[in-house]
Amino acid sequence: METNKTAESKKTGARERILTRIAKANARPRPSPPPLVPLEAIFPPITNPRQRFLDECAGNLTEVFQTANSAGSIEALKIILSTVPPGEIYVQNDSKAELTLHLLRDAIRQLRPLRFSSEGPPAEATQASLTLAHGFVAQTGSIFTSSSCGGRGASIVPPCHIVYGRGDQIVPDIAAALARVPSETPGASYVGLITGSSRTADIEKILVQGAHGPRRLVVILES
Amino acid sequence: MSAASQEFLRKAIIKSSDLEHRALIQKGMLSYDAAHAKGKSRFADWEGARARCSAVKAEGIANLGKYLIEFEQKIIERGGHVHWAENAEQANDYVVDLARTRNVKTVVKSKSMVTEEIHLAGALEKIGVTVWETDLGEFIVQLRNEPPYHIVTPAMHLSRRQIADLFREKLGEDVADADPGRLVAAARVALRRAFFSAEMGISGANFLVADTGMVALSTNEGNGRLTTSIPRIHVVVAGIEKVIPRMSDLAVLWPVLATSGTGQPITTYSTLIRGASIAGEPDGPREVHIVLVDNGRTELLADAETEEVLKCIRCGACLNICPIFRQVGGHTYGSIYPGPIGSIFTPRTDSLSEWGHLSYACSLCTACKGVCPVKIDLPKQLLLTRRDFIATGNVKPAQRVGFAGFRWATASAPRFRLVGWMGRKALALVNALGLSGTALDPMRVWTKYRSPMTLPKQSFRAWWKENGSKNGNK
Amino acid sequence: MSSPQTSRKVALFVPCFVDQVLPQVAIDTVTVLRRIGCEVIFPEDQTCCGQPGFNTGHWESALPCAEHFVRVFSNYETIVCPSGSCASMVRKHYPELLEHSPLREQAIAVGQRVFELAEFLVRVAGVTDVGASFPHAVAYHPSCHSTRELGIYDEPMQLLRAVRDIDLRPLPNAGECCGFGGMFSTKFGMISSAMGDTKAVNLEQSGAEYVTAIDPSCLMHLDGVFGATGRKLKTIYLAGILASSSGNGSAAKESR
Repeated sequence: METNKTAESKKTGARERILTRIAKANARPRPSPPPLVPLEAIFPPITNPRQRFLDECAGNLTEVFQTANSAGSIEALKIILSTVPPGEIYVQNDSKAELTLHLLRDAIRQLRPLRFSSEGPPAEATQASLTLAHGFVAQTGSIFTSSSCGGRGASIVPPCHIVYGRGDQIVPDIAAALARVPSETPGASYVGLITGSSRTADIEKILVQGAHGPRRLVVILES
Repeated sequence: MSAASQEFLRKAIIKSSDLEHRALIQKGMLSYDAAHAKGKSRFADWEGARARCSAVKAEGIANLGKYLIEFEQKIIERGGHVHWAENAEQANDYVVDLARTRNVKTVVKSKSMVTEEIHLAGALEKIGVTVWETDLGEFIVQLRNEPPYHIVTPAMHLSRRQIADLFREKLGEDVADADPGRLVAAARVALRRAFFSAEMGISGANFLVADTGMVALSTNEGNGRLTTSIPRIHVVVAGIEKVIPRMSDLAVLWPVLATSGTGQPITTYSTLIRGASIAGEPDGPREVHIVLVDNGRTELLADAETEEVLKCIRCGACLNICPIFRQVGGHTYGSIYPGPIGSIFTPRTDSLSEWGHLSYACSLCTACKGVCPVKIDLPKQLLLTRRDFIATGNVKPAQRVGFAGFRWATASAPRFRLVGWMGRKALALVNALGLSGTALDPMRVWTKYRSPMTLPKQSFRAWWKENGSKNGNK
Repeated sequence: MSSPQTSRKVALFVPCFVDQVLPQVAIDTVTVLRRIGCEVIFPEDQTCCGQPGFNTGHWESALPCAEHFVRVFSNYETIVCPSGSCASMVRKHYPELLEHSPLREQAIAVGQRVFELAEFLVRVAGVTDVGASFPHAVAYHPSCHSTRELGIYDEPMQLLRAVRDIDLRPLPNAGECCGFGGMFSTKFGMISSAMGDTKAVNLEQSGAEYVTAIDPSCLMHLDGVFGATGRKLKTIYLAGILASSSGNGSAAKESR
């Protein structure tokens, strides 16, 4: 158990001094602010979330495999793995994954060495990860994920991240995803929206795919 | 004239005549302009988005104490640590002490302007810790031992060739034909080694969310994710002004930040950290420390006039639009924050006497006001900074005399006519003696860079006296 | 010619540097105003609006000047100024500069009645065709204060489009500052002239022979930059174009 270091700044008085200066400023009378401009006015309405999600993914280079059922999803996974260099696949396995990911997991058990999230973090040499997600955001073509989806490293360490989910997990916008954070990710230490593959434009403002995170983000979207 | 001010002039002279530099920056900015325009078009009401972001940030600032305490409480409830630092020294001491007691040998750092502001990397290096900047642009300028050029794209002043040469020299990596894709791959390999060996990851925060007690961190490269996933200790260093009331506010702040910063709909990795990893999670840091930094921010807060400056979300849009930044670039300012925001923030939080000159490096074109996504009235703040700079007595004797003269001459027409007449006669004499452009030319500050003005035979008011009342058409 | 519309009284607010260094700007302005039937008055007590002091932070030095301005112009219904930045100083910045002055309310009232020339011609007098002719290639530079502070975007172009035989050229990166910026031009001359140079390159790209604007200070600065860099470009203030005619002397047409 680490000692709580917050007590330290309480001892020196820095915290109190800062808060006192802030309180004095915050006590100044201010006109009451006008109502916030509503989000519905700011963003255009999303009439077809599924199509919007697919269009955004095309734009941010997220690969999407649309499947009708679990047989189709298994097929899609095999196709994806045929383009992943040989090596270990990191798979989310917890109570939720047990219900939904097990078919896919079992289908590839013979094809690749697997490492499971219950065993620990992904290795540096891991070639791809396979996880669930909490949802898909149509507005930006994003994956709504957290550390409950196989941990933190699963979505950032391997060069390819494969997400398995259902069409009914699509939510219209960022606001909708954020509203689900308390219910979907009750204690998770990390929550995030991932939009496309890792990229950088730091060299001459030329966009390069695959900086530190995965070069490939793939979604298997079932029904 | 402060030392910083002389240094600014010296660098500005060099950069202003560097046509290669000018072309490179113009190219980068034009590319940004196009992306930014495209990004704004995704909004049904961009001005509405700005208004909402401004209001949300203003709400955070107006209730800063309340929201900081709420944030702190939530973090501590989950076992996190919160340290309050009045200044750079207190912030650095905390992190250095933590590194020492936890036996940290290597640190990976994701981009954080405040850590540059307080020179944290240097403080850690002093006790023998190796610090790796993991944002590609920051990594590059770190290898070159220079500060970031721009708050969003730190290495935009370098060509791929220069970066290839740098990697060859410092990393022993020879990248054929300086291909940007291969350069990025080389950096990825080097930094992976750092990510997997570092005991501590240091990040900044784009926002500190009060209602859920979370740290919001956005990167495109994923370096922020790796920094906060692999090392066993995560330290967040954030300015106190980063706090926002609610997680739901990110629904507009995230898209607006990305649009203003790079023209994207949202940054690739938009992350929320609740704290250290919990039971059942396979990885993640075992302890999380938040260092809240004041370092002059309460100075801005103390005055109703300047409080709005704290709304800044560090998007870089004002730098990008500023015609002075486009000429001299980010290294000329000498302050971690360049451009319009830096020219207000640094004098106000550091020293008005030493840095006030930056507020004058501006033609008051007001383009920055139109692009700021949180609607800070930057031109007004620049004018107020100038006013306060003068009020604290930073005036050269010649200037004091000059403006006393201006005050006298403009108070009545006869005085004005006299001074105007004297001035024109003096200039005519200077021209007649062939002294135009020399050290004896009172207009030298003008004629050093421009051809001299031709003086008219008479002032307008003299013409009017002779011809004005005749109502003829030309 | 005696309808109330056409014999409008207009008080001329002549910027200090125009009075002393660029009087032709004001002379041409008088010509144009008279041509559309205005009676032009020049309040001789005026000096300056105070912008040089205000912009450099020397607010104390600018205050008596601004108060003097308010007193001189308080009695005039309509005030026209051949400079966007000076009109903007009065309209946008006097409330702040005179915040603690007894003349604050009066200053705000005067500010409502000050108009930049193009703004006056198009929005107040309702005129776009002043019977001008100018057979040259011209690019319009939209000065910063006129556009961003006063919102004058299309009016100058409306006036220019009505000029006979003119060859209007679009200007690349038109909205970028020319680099004058008042005292900035001398405090940071090297940056100022580099910005002017960038503007000059864009002007040359447009193929224009002349650059025009509604802020003569921009033109004064650009003129100096052209001269220093040996460029063939020429500057002309908007009223200089509008006052030109092929000799037909056609009367102004009211569009409203």
